[in-house]
Amino acid sequence: MTQTVAPPRTEPAALPPKQAPRRAWRPTDAFFHVVLAGWAIVSVMPLLWAVVTAFKPNDEVFGAPFALPSEWRVDNFGRAWGGASIGQFFVNTVIVVSGALLLTMLLSTMAAYVLARYEFRGNRFLFYLFASGLMFPVFLAVVPLFFVVRNLGLLHTHLGLILVYTAYALPFSVFFLTAFFRTLPNAVAEAALIDGCSHAGVFFRVMLPMARPGIVSVALFNFLSMWNQYLLPLVLNQNNESTAVLTEGLAMLQAQQGYDADWSALFAGMVISMLPVLVVYLIFQRKIREGFVAGALK
Amino acid sequence: MAAVRYEAATRRYPGSERAAVDALDLEIEDGEFLVLIGPSGCGKSTSLRMLAGLEPLDEGAIRIGDRDVTNLPPKQRDIAMVFQNYALYPHMTVAENMGFALKIAGKPKSEIKQRVAEAAKLLDLEPYLDRKPKALSGGQRQRVAMGRAIVREPQVFLMDEPLSNLDAKLRVSTRTQIAALQRRLGTTTVYVTHDQVEAMTMGDRVALLKDGVLQQCDTPRALYDKPANTFVAGFIGSPAMNLHTAKITDGGVSIAGVTIPVSRTTLDAAAAEGADSIVLGFRPESLEIVSADTQPPGFPATVQVVEELGSDAFCYTTLPGHDAAEGAGGVDVIARVDPRTPPRKGETLYLRIRPEEAHAFSTVTGNRLPS
Repeated sequence: MTQTVAPPRTEPAALPPKQAPRRAWRPTDAFFHVVLAGWAIVSVMPLLWAVVTAFKPNDEVFGAPFALPSEWRVDNFGRAWGGASIGQFFVNTVIVVSGALLLTMLLSTMAAYVLARYEFRGNRFLFYLFASGLMFPVFLAVVPLFFVVRNLGLLHTHLGLILVYTAYALPFSVFFLTAFFRTLPNAVAEAALIDGCSHAGVFFRVMLPMARPGIVSVALFNFLSMWNQYLLPLVLNQNNESTAVLTEGLAMLQAQQGYDADWSALFAGMVISMLPVLVVYLIFQRKIREGFVAGALK
Repeated sequence: MAAVRYEAATRRYPGSERAAVDALDLEIEDGEFLVLIGPSGCGKSTSLRMLAGLEPLDEGAIRIGDRDVTNLPPKQRDIAMVFQNYALYPHMTVAENMGFALKIAGKPKSEIKQRVAEAAKLLDLEPYLDRKPKALSGGQRQRVAMGRAIVREPQVFLMDEPLSNLDAKLRVSTRTQIAALQRRLGTTTVYVTHDQVEAMTMGDRVALLKDGVLQQCDTPRALYDKPANTFVAGFIGSPAMNLHTAKITDGGVSIAGVTIPVSRTTLDAAAAEGADSIVLGFRPESLEIVSADTQPPGFPATVQVVEELGSDAFCYTTLPGHDAAEGAGGVDVIARVDPRTPPRKGETLYLRIRPEEAHAFSTVTGNRLPS
């Protein structure tokens, strides 16, 4: 599952005989390879640097920025987790993201299923309403959103963030899943109806399992964007450490520290916050690609 | 098990003037195998879906046994359906697919297992019970779809072209299996197909639809021997029956200048409609080749193409005065001939219709005239 793209084979002689013959080498290939290699380095280097820095003693962070650490300090992570409350932020994030993700997937699959498979007055209107949410910039709504959430008394709460995350994830999820449900064969739903299912039964027992590839992809996209969400908690969770999520926590850490700072702990915290995203992405990266294509074509 | 009755059942699709199924009256007896057949868009599938509860009725009623099921949802109708593309649940194993309806009905696990096992044995599916549908061949999938229907022990089986996705050879063997299975279970079955061989071989009775209107419903033999109108006559049988508009003469009708005797009753019936001609129908196998001077005489026909099928040979012929402008492929009469001594292209044959094997239809209504 975690396997990435197979490394290019350098020895043609070692290829199994049945493999398709290689395309002839073209001069432009060199150019593309150089560009791609450069891009890969630009993307990977900061990441690696952050990881390496997370293991350095504090004075080496700026003292020898590109050197390997003189000693590998694992206690940076301990300081970040406990001392800098990254642990607390991590738990907050897990609560908010998992709650919002569950709610988003439950609501968006149900809405998408109905929009895709039932004819009723206003069906198209509702669909386009959701679709228009895709084009609505988050920044535009931030101020009114703050007042709405405050009036509901949900500022600085997990529930408030869960609801707002869900609202922001719904347009994309519904849009994508509607297209996906449309590709599922009608006859299977009819077979389930004849087999004795209620409409809800058809959805939960038959159509939902069939839509799994699409649902997994949407859930992953939502997970990645919710985990990295910064603007919404910044507005709705201002300076409240007890409910802060990771992105806020890291920003707080940096802001509070000023010049006399525990930089290595900051980097350790960053690595901690990166890990779940990386792990999820590595596990499901193939599924993401599949899901993307599955919904787009046909 | 139960009888099924359509009572003036009508379905109009929104936005369409014409009814997809127009006042269908049809009675299917308990345990009967009824085949619905017709050209594409004739309303045969819609009729089946109306019985299944997947398509609402705009007028009329449908009864299963004593119950009026017109407004009942599918799950309350006690029916099972086999779909053209099988519609198996891809995320369930064969056993789960077959037992799904029982599970929904809340039957105990032991009973489900036993009934699935019985059906699997009947259909040779025992080795595949733990497989997912995607790991099965087309024929196996088809049998799972059948199994799913059998396990329920419903009052009525509905089958919507269940064989059309199989290759030709498998279709023939499965055809026999389904017919045998139905006889054995004795469950009332409504079977939709566009393949007339399936209709003729499987059905106790065959109902032929056209444009949402029932044309004729009878045994395959009766449909073949006594078609109710020109549409039925032309649809059933391959190659199709020859249908020829012929002028009424004294004591018969005239084809290519030769008088074919037709009964007085028939001619009177045609005259009563004010027609001076009738549509004479005769099957390719009802023609015999005679010599030019035989009495009563045969009509002359020029051979255009001979199709040799091994067991049969068919001559595609034109009559004298054939309008070549109608197109080179224009054919007036098809005749079955002895495959061992087929005539040559361009030869002129004298064809005579065997007595009692001609059908007469009205030129006005297309309906069969009394003989």
